[in-house]
Amino acid sequence: MAESSSDESETTFQLYKDRKEWKDVVPVPQDDGEQPIVAIDYTEQFKDVFDYFRAVLQSGEKSERALELTKDAAALNPANYTVWQYRREILKALNKDLNEEMDFIEKIIVYNQPKNYQVWHHRKVIVEWLQEASKEKYLTETVLAKDAKNYHAWQHRQWIIKTFNLYEGELEYIDSLISDDIRNNSAWNQRYFVVMGTTGFTEEVLDREIDYTLSSIKVVTENESAWNYLRGVLLHDKCGLSRNKKVTDFCQDLYNSGNRSPFLLALIVDMCSEQVSQGNKDPLYNLEMAKTLCKELAEKYDTVRAKYWEYIAETVDKKSNKEDSQVDAEQ
Amino acid sequence: MDYYKIKFNPSVHKKYLLRILRGLPASLQSMDTHRMLLTYFAISGLDLLNELGSIPNKQSIIDWIYCLQVCDDSELVSGFQGSSTLNTPFNCGQNANYKWGHIANTYSALTTLIILGDDLERIHRDSVIKSLRTLQLPNGCYTGAKDGCEYDMRFVFCAACICYILDDWSGMNIDKTVDFIIKSISYDFGIAQAPELESHSGSTFCAVATLALTKQLHRLSKTQVEGLKRWLLNRFEYGFTGRPNKPSDTCYSFWTGGALKILNAYQFIEAADNNQYILVTQDRNGGFSKWVNTVPDPMHTYLGLAGLSFMKEEGIGSIFPDLNVSVRAHEHLKSLHKKWREG
Repeated sequence: MAESSSDESETTFQLYKDRKEWKDVVPVPQDDGEQPIVAIDYTEQFKDVFDYFRAVLQSGEKSERALELTKDAAALNPANYTVWQYRREILKALNKDLNEEMDFIEKIIVYNQPKNYQVWHHRKVIVEWLQEASKEKYLTETVLAKDAKNYHAWQHRQWIIKTFNLYEGELEYIDSLISDDIRNNSAWNQRYFVVMGTTGFTEEVLDREIDYTLSSIKVVTENESAWNYLRGVLLHDKCGLSRNKKVTDFCQDLYNSGNRSPFLLALIVDMCSEQVSQGNKDPLYNLEMAKTLCKELAEKYDTVRAKYWEYIAETVDKKSNKEDSQVDAEQ
Repeated sequence: MDYYKIKFNPSVHKKYLLRILRGLPASLQSMDTHRMLLTYFAISGLDLLNELGSIPNKQSIIDWIYCLQVCDDSELVSGFQGSSTLNTPFNCGQNANYKWGHIANTYSALTTLIILGDDLERIHRDSVIKSLRTLQLPNGCYTGAKDGCEYDMRFVFCAACICYILDDWSGMNIDKTVDFIIKSISYDFGIAQAPELESHSGSTFCAVATLALTKQLHRLSKTQVEGLKRWLLNRFEYGFTGRPNKPSDTCYSFWTGGALKILNAYQFIEAADNNQYILVTQDRNGGFSKWVNTVPDPMHTYLGLAGLSFMKEEGIGSIFPDLNVSVRAHEHLKSLHKKWREG
């Protein structure tokens, strides 16, 4: 139950101490010491529910009414992991229908607590017990439809895909998310996850992913997620960052068209750095180009990181001197 | 660019943090199991403001924290609870079912104690460390408690801090921890909560701080270090963000700033007016919030102050990012270590 509805629920909620069916249980108060710190001014309902929860923990009662009690306790404080832990113990002891539990936790995740660690953990455990993951993609899609970057949802989704081998259809789902929001970093990350978990970055897949990413960059040239993904893909290119013709042609064309996206310039700087490290005297990707672009970044296109680009220019310079002196030494 | 610059107002934050220590309203009941963490935020915040002197009941706070210590070698659940929710007049001073330490609360308790100048003599060090070791998983990560908890990089950081503070690394298989961290490095060189997940400033800080505390930063390759620096620096827009293409949030001033500090790369985004995003979330009655025009909370307040510390804001003391306590508190800890090693 969301915090904001607790006032409403107070008026209809019957305190446990007033319930006939709980008359046999003595509520157990909290012992907060003589001078409690960060003491919370609990509502009467909160104190009541947890007095009975403490009583039930003490006696070890695992019954239907105790199960219902954990529901009320979890509603008041969904972050109390002991409540969820004890609830799971009761579910096991009573051999409850776990599909009902799945419905219960789904409602909490979707409508109340999409960012709570304990409810997602509870869902994960029930899925493990059931060994049944057919509803999980739909659950996470429902949550992601409200917040496409919910970390818990992505984490759960990756877990069920890996555990139950549910990679099929995932690239299409990612495509739809990227169409909705080309800057959705979580979706780009998921793309990398899917490729690594299925085909891997074979030459063919590498080429396909480069095409996909470059098309995306054409649409929004200042999208860090797409540029990061491009570099991630190139990590698997045997020739490294600076020798993929499609990519280098694309970057040159983009630069020559007047585009000065800081991510474009940064990639070209890194390509220069790679060439310099390898001791190659490339006509384009060289120290001069690196220094020119670092200066442009520092002075115009990424001024907030000016000191960083000055540092990068120095780094490439040092690499170049090292290579030169090694060549001299060899001669 | 001419615009109105917001001024940092330390006195309202001092009042806000002292209010937290005195108590919270019913609307924050869902923070019940996090009271230890909130205590840490308030006290570490007051420490950064150089206002520990204005806490009226330091000894009571220390005693309350110790009341929440669990020493249970048979169940191996030693550590600190987050609150007294499960403590009753019947199990007072005894071990009981579900009276377990939780790794984040053990971290919060230990850091708060050293900030308050406690000598940690009442800590059952061996017991805490022995139990801590059982929380490490085969993949090198840590879970939060004996059972029923998730696992991720936050708890790796907590584990490293606990070992560091208690000066006892038998609570951690360091190689496995480093292995988990390296496997959690993303294709974009940021670090995620676990392998293959999305890189995130929070988990990146936790990983980098862990590597610093365990003295294993050298295990990162040059490419990884440079990639990491770039990723972190790219988090800075107007304020700091947690992931690419997400909005700025006050707390990332610490997570991102702290990681950059540890990697000696913070100076690359140092600028006179970087404090403005944090200050724009400053509430006139005290505290900082996540975004502009949002309600302040203890976590964003503390991390906002910590972020301002990196920016050398006047009126805020220096912070030791690896542990997320003041340099002063860290010096006190080092004096305890000297005593233990000599004794």
